[in-house]
Amino acid sequence: MIDEIEPAPKDSDYDFYFGPAHPGSGNFGVKLKIDGERVVSARADPGYLHRGFEKLMEYRTPIQNAVLSDRLCVLEPLNWNLVHAEAVDELMGIDVPERAKYIRVIMAELSRIQSHIIWYGVFSIGTGFDTGFKMAFGYRDYILDLFELITGGRVYPAGYICPGGVRRDFPNGARDKILKVLDKMDEMIKLEELENPALDVRAKGVGILKVKDAIRLGATGPVLRGSGMKTDVRKDEPYEIYDRLDFEVPVRNEGDAYARYWIGIEEMKQSIKIVKQALEDLPDGEVTVPEFKRPKVKVKMPQGEVYIRNEVARGEAAVYMVSDEGSEPYRCKIRGPDFLHMIPVLECLLKGAQIADVPAIYWSLNICPADMDR
Amino acid sequence: MVTKETELLDEIKSEFKVDGRVQRKQRIWVSTDKNKLIEMCNWLKDHGFVHLSAVSVTDWLEDGKYELTYHLWSYDDKILITVKTKIDREKPTISSVMPIWEESAQIHERELHELFGVKFKGNSDLVPLFLEDWGGPPPFRKDFDWRNYVREEYYSKENEREKVYYD
Repeated sequence: MIDEIEPAPKDSDYDFYFGPAHPGSGNFGVKLKIDGERVVSARADPGYLHRGFEKLMEYRTPIQNAVLSDRLCVLEPLNWNLVHAEAVDELMGIDVPERAKYIRVIMAELSRIQSHIIWYGVFSIGTGFDTGFKMAFGYRDYILDLFELITGGRVYPAGYICPGGVRRDFPNGARDKILKVLDKMDEMIKLEELENPALDVRAKGVGILKVKDAIRLGATGPVLRGSGMKTDVRKDEPYEIYDRLDFEVPVRNEGDAYARYWIGIEEMKQSIKIVKQALEDLPDGEVTVPEFKRPKVKVKMPQGEVYIRNEVARGEAAVYMVSDEGSEPYRCKIRGPDFLHMIPVLECLLKGAQIADVPAIYWSLNICPADMDR
Repeated sequence: MVTKETELLDEIKSEFKVDGRVQRKQRIWVSTDKNKLIEMCNWLKDHGFVHLSAVSVTDWLEDGKYELTYHLWSYDDKILITVKTKIDREKPTISSVMPIWEESAQIHERELHELFGVKFKGNSDLVPLFLEDWGGPPPFRKDFDWRNYVREEYYSKENEREKVYYD
């Protein structure tokens, strides 16, 4: 019988579509050319989630845009709220109250922690470790409970961090609840750090990105730090109160999927440290400037342009806002870290990889199609 | 007061005879002629600006100009410099900075080619990124009214729910 089976043709090339409507890819597709088990070339195919935010923002006032900025990334809306709010603040010359700055940082760091938890979850499921996925989404809910208590929304805070400060103060008992949730996060980190030989095998030495390539391809954030470059916008260009806080920037030199995964865990520890410090020093006072106390429909922005950079969970986020004295921004360019991570970096890393390593490489980049397509 | 920002700006000014200002700590804005752009970008890359943070286009409809902005970051000096240059809006053509910042420049330019219709001479791949089968004008231009486009293409006055968009 065996003799009757034809041998595989020499030319065993085929196309393989990873996404865009695939549970393992998010709303984003990569077209892979495969030879046997090896990826010959990869071509990213974005656009499945394109909503044209830059254009939408040109038709809306800053308060409306604050709500819109939630949707720039499903997994970390508060961090994107912050980038947008800072751009408007600087453009309008608003001096944000001290208490609001602390609350902004606390919320942004909590958002970073839950984003890194999702990263761990999807990376686990990408490497066939389902328990990790379920664990991650279970623990993430503790932070979502906090978001519901403070902002009113579990996933989307509806512009909680808005120009001029934050929308409302912490409710009673928020501080104790945050501290309790942070203890839960410590628990989660302990679980993440348990020895997992299966994950080591799947992640070590896979998808190696050299630091020279990382800079050339425009990588930032955890991806660049995983390749051995010590850089963090929070340290290089401290915004809000980051210059007063004590935290480390974790770096690893290997540049493989495991290094990036390790950076994610270390960053969660640092974020917990930041939140604790900020809660300790949280001053009393107002949380928003008087002119934004009641959301005005029309706010005139003076003529000018600003470029604001922030460190979000995935890397460098930036907003370039131009105003021509209107109540809407004349131009609002949004620079998402995943635009670079998901197109040039991903295409480069997938080339030559084994087909079984594709999800491990893909999810090790901590991707989010929402801020790439915008 | 002499800071590293003003020092760098003076150096650029004497090298290229261009306008510029220091906006605040870590922010420099420079305007240049489009013919000097490549030379200037090469010089900046050699002076540590290895990270191309973003490229953007602002559509100044009344002046009939596109303003291209290149946002560059130096990991050593920790300064962000924005290089601005204006090109004609009707025939937007400019040399690509792909030879300088390679893949990261390539993808930023590819996006702007699709959304604003800017032709980058020397860019190897300007295939549309986001929009599938889009035959209309570049959608991010100021004179493209997408609200009107949606009304005409997808909505109907007869439809009870959609007629509010015609008021």
